Amino acid sequence: MNYYITYFIVAVGLFSFSAFFALFGVYAERKISAFIQDRLGPTETGKFGSLQTLADIMKMIQKELIIPAAADKWLFMLAPAVIFIAVYMGFAALPWAPGLIPSKINLGIYYIFAIISIETLGILMAGWGSNNKYSILGAMRSAAQIISYEIPAGFAIISVVMIAQTLDMQAIAMQQGVLSPEKIKFLGFWDVTQIGGFFSWNIFRAPHLIIAFVIYFIASLAESNRAPFDIPEAESELVAGFHTEFTGIRFALVFLAEYSMMFLVSMIGVILFLGAWNTPLPNIGPVHLATWTTGMGCGILWVTLKTLGLVAVQMWIRWTLPRFRVDQLMNLCWKVLTPLAFACMLISGVWRLWLM
Amino acid sequence: MSFVRVLFYFMSFIAIVSALYAASTKNLVRSIFVFFVTLFALAGLYVLALADFVAVTQVVIYVGGILVLIIFAFMLSGKETLNVIQQQKGKFFSMAKLPAILLAALFFIVMINVVLKADADNLGWVKDSIATNNTITPNAVMIDNIGVNLMTRYLLPFEAISILLLMALVGAAHLSRKEAKI
Repeated sequence: MNYYITYFIVAVGLFSFSAFFALFGVYAERKISAFIQDRLGPTETGKFGSLQTLADIMKMIQKELIIPAAADKWLFMLAPAVIFIAVYMGFAALPWAPGLIPSKINLGIYYIFAIISIETLGILMAGWGSNNKYSILGAMRSAAQIISYEIPAGFAIISVVMIAQTLDMQAIAMQQGVLSPEKIKFLGFWDVTQIGGFFSWNIFRAPHLIIAFVIYFIASLAESNRAPFDIPEAESELVAGFHTEFTGIRFALVFLAEYSMMFLVSMIGVILFLGAWNTPLPNIGPVHLATWTTGMGCGILWVTLKTLGLVAVQMWIRWTLPRFRVDQLMNLCWKVLTPLAFACMLISGVWRLWLM
Repeated sequence: MSFVRVLFYFMSFIAIVSALYAASTKNLVRSIFVFFVTLFALAGLYVLALADFVAVTQVVIYVGGILVLIIFAFMLSGKETLNVIQQQKGKFFSMAKLPAILLAALFFIVMINVVLKADADNLGWVKDSIATNNTITPNAVMIDNIGVNLMTRYLLPFEAISILLLMALVGAAHLSRKEAKI
């Protein structure tokens, strides 16, 4: 019975983490965008405006929940929940530190890939349920974009899986540091099993994975519907896309899902390519930096730092690049990223056979 | 009753009820979204049968792919066309529906027959594999097994399917190509 109580505590913990992250993610986004555009951002509420998002969520909770008269009531009400739950379930299979993973399933990455794709369905539900032409246009754009970009993302992930020979997230993480059960070679020639550090990260174990990482990162931007791939929301064309009609806490849930998705895709990127919870510091001779900084506490610290770094890059890109047009978006996906991802997969096979 | 059995009945119940709703409702869009619930419950049943790879594949292909494409087709067709489809004749049974009812009833009889004849508790091959200890545990890694079998024992069907999919791809690309201007 204690088992089930632990599961509940883990689930509640993950939920509060994602809510907490969304609150401060929004604050960070506003501050970063202000910095990039040479503004100040929120300054009034709390020191440096740090309580601004708390005030926002208080306002959201108090607002009336409006259901448009022509909307399909059930689809409209369920859509934000489906969108958020799809993202939230993905957190179940992410490893945080050696031995610390909410659910150790041996299909880890495949499961996450599957569960994220349900978000599309939630967005379509929101678009259709709102019975609003802007919503439905936004939902269709979103679905087209997510389905297309799942393909390069999938092949980038497969090229990592072919190097790692497992779908288990914890095993993939384990292979990229000093705790590795097998021999690691830096760029395929230098044995770094005892040295660890950033030398044993996947992108340095097989250098073509750097390209795979870039492909995955671009595709993950598209999957979380963020600029330059934000045509589903496109304020200047579609009001607010698929969540035009949502108010109050439902609107907040859509935003919670977006920020959780940012964290989720960044963390998958970190685990697959950037050494997961492994330290970037290598063992140098008698100074065993890698061995000292690998463990439960350090693992959580490293994975959080790396993920927040990637999230910051996502925000930086959002406030720097203009939005893609639909045809540019599809050209980039099908004519550039997909062939490159196929090439990465091919190289991965050859690399695994001849160099590892 | 054990926890697993409770889960089994719970998910079977959800699957059957949602499938019935999807078949009987007049709101076509809603029936597609309810079909999603059916597929999810089926994925849960696969997990209970220790076929977690099949369960995840089901979610990827049906939910992430086929369902979304069906909804896409819906959204691209106008509301008037949909209304024509949705206006069914009031009665649940009618002469126009006779072939469908006949087919469904016959199929139902076949399925009942299979369930009754199979005698699921004393299947020969199940007993054999229990006797030779050829079973899987919840922690077993199944993907190696699937991969090796696909590349050895089931290589011909696998290749035939890949050729079929390639043909579909080429066909789709040809159909959507712009005609050359004369």
